[in-house]
Amino acid sequence: MKRLTLTALLLLCCFFTPIFANDNGKKSDLNIQKITVSDELRAKHTLKPHHEHLAFDCIDCHANQGDDPSKFKNIKDEGCLSCHGTKKLLAQRLKFMDTLKANPHNSVHDGPTLYCDECHFEHKPSINMCSECHEHEVPQWMGVTP
Amino acid sequence: MKISKKLLALIVVISGIVGFFVVLPVHYVLEETSTDRFCGVCHEMDPMVISYQKDIHAGSGAIGVKAKCVDCHLPHDNLAKYVYQKAVNGIVEGYIHFFGDPDSINWVANLKNKEHYVFDNGCMSCHTNILDTTASSQQAQKMHAHYVKLQGSDKELKCVSCHVGVGHAHDMRNQLEYWKPSYKIYENKMLEQKIKSKQEFFKDEYEPTKQEREFLEKKSAKATPSHG
Repeated sequence: MKRLTLTALLLLCCFFTPIFANDNGKKSDLNIQKITVSDELRAKHTLKPHHEHLAFDCIDCHANQGDDPSKFKNIKDEGCLSCHGTKKLLAQRLKFMDTLKANPHNSVHDGPTLYCDECHFEHKPSINMCSECHEHEVPQWMGVTP
Repeated sequence: MKISKKLLALIVVISGIVGFFVVLPVHYVLEETSTDRFCGVCHEMDPMVISYQKDIHAGSGAIGVKAKCVDCHLPHDNLAKYVYQKAVNGIVEGYIHFFGDPDSINWVANLKNKEHYVFDNGCMSCHTNILDTTASSQQAQKMHAHYVKLQGSDKELKCVSCHVGVGHAHDMRNQLEYWKPSYKIYENKMLEQKIKSKQEFFKDEYEPTKQEREFLEKKSAKATPSHG
C-alpha cells in the first residue's frame, strides 16, 4: 500500500514538475553602449509610467546622441515613431473618436499631422492642446493625455 | 513472480492500444475546443473576434499562416500547463457566461492586464528565431536585445508590453468602445458603429439585440418621414 502511494506521488511529481520548469532566452550579441547618468540628472528626467514599465534607459530613446546625457536633445517625431509606428496608425487606434470628430490624432484642424510634442512630453506633464479652445468638451471626449 | 515473455508482450501491446484510445478522445476534445469558432460562440467575444479577423494573424496574409486564439492566449511551454490553464479558463469563463454578467466587465480597463493573458512562448512557437534574427530592422533588434537583457530580472517584459495591438489589428479598443463606450457623449454614435460592425461581420446571420432593433427602427422612421 505504502509503495503504491509512493509510486503515485512520484508519478504526480513527474507530471507537474515541467510546469515549474522554465527555459530562458539566449543572450543576444547586439552591442549596447553604456552611459553614466548622475542621480540628480536622472531624478530631474523621470519617465512616463508606460516607458518606466519598459525599463528604458536614456539611450533607448536618445539614440546616436553621444554619451553625455547633459547634452541630450529632443528626439523629435522620428524618435517617437521609431517604436510607435506611423501617425496614421496612431489615428486609427482611436478611430472610435472620429465619430464625434474628437480624435486628437486626426482632428478636423490638423488631421494626422501634429508634432508629438504639441501634447506629449516625456520628462514633464503632458498637455492637451485641444483644451486651449475646447476646454469644456475635452473631459467628455477623452481621458488625460499620457 | 515471473512473467512469461508472451504475457509481457501482450501487456505491452494492450497497454499501447488502450493508451492510444485514451489519448485519441482527449486530443480530439482539446482540438475541438481550441478553434476560434469555439471561442467566438459567446457573444461577449464579438469585439475580440471582429478585431482579430482584421489582423494578419487571422490568416489574411499572402502566405496564409493563421494563429488561433489559443496559440497566443494559452501557455505553450508544456502540455500540462497548457491543459491546466485551458481547463481553468474554461471553467471560469463558462461560469461567468452562464451565471455571471459578462456585459458588466470593463474590457477596456482589462487591456492593461495583457501581459497576464498573452503568452510569450505562444508568440515564439511561431516566431521561433525572433530574438536572434538579423533580418528585422535595426530598431527591432535593439529593442529585442533590451527584452533579452531584462529576462529573468524583476523588470522582465512580455512581447505584448511593446506589441500592444498585436493579433487584433490595433482595433480592439475601437470595437470595445462600440460595445460599451467609456465616455457617455459617444453612446449614440457607438451603438451605430456597433450595429455596422456586427452587420459587416455576421452578414446575413446578423441578429440585432432589442436595443439595436429599436435604434434601427428609429433610424428608418427618420429616413422615411410620414406624410401628414
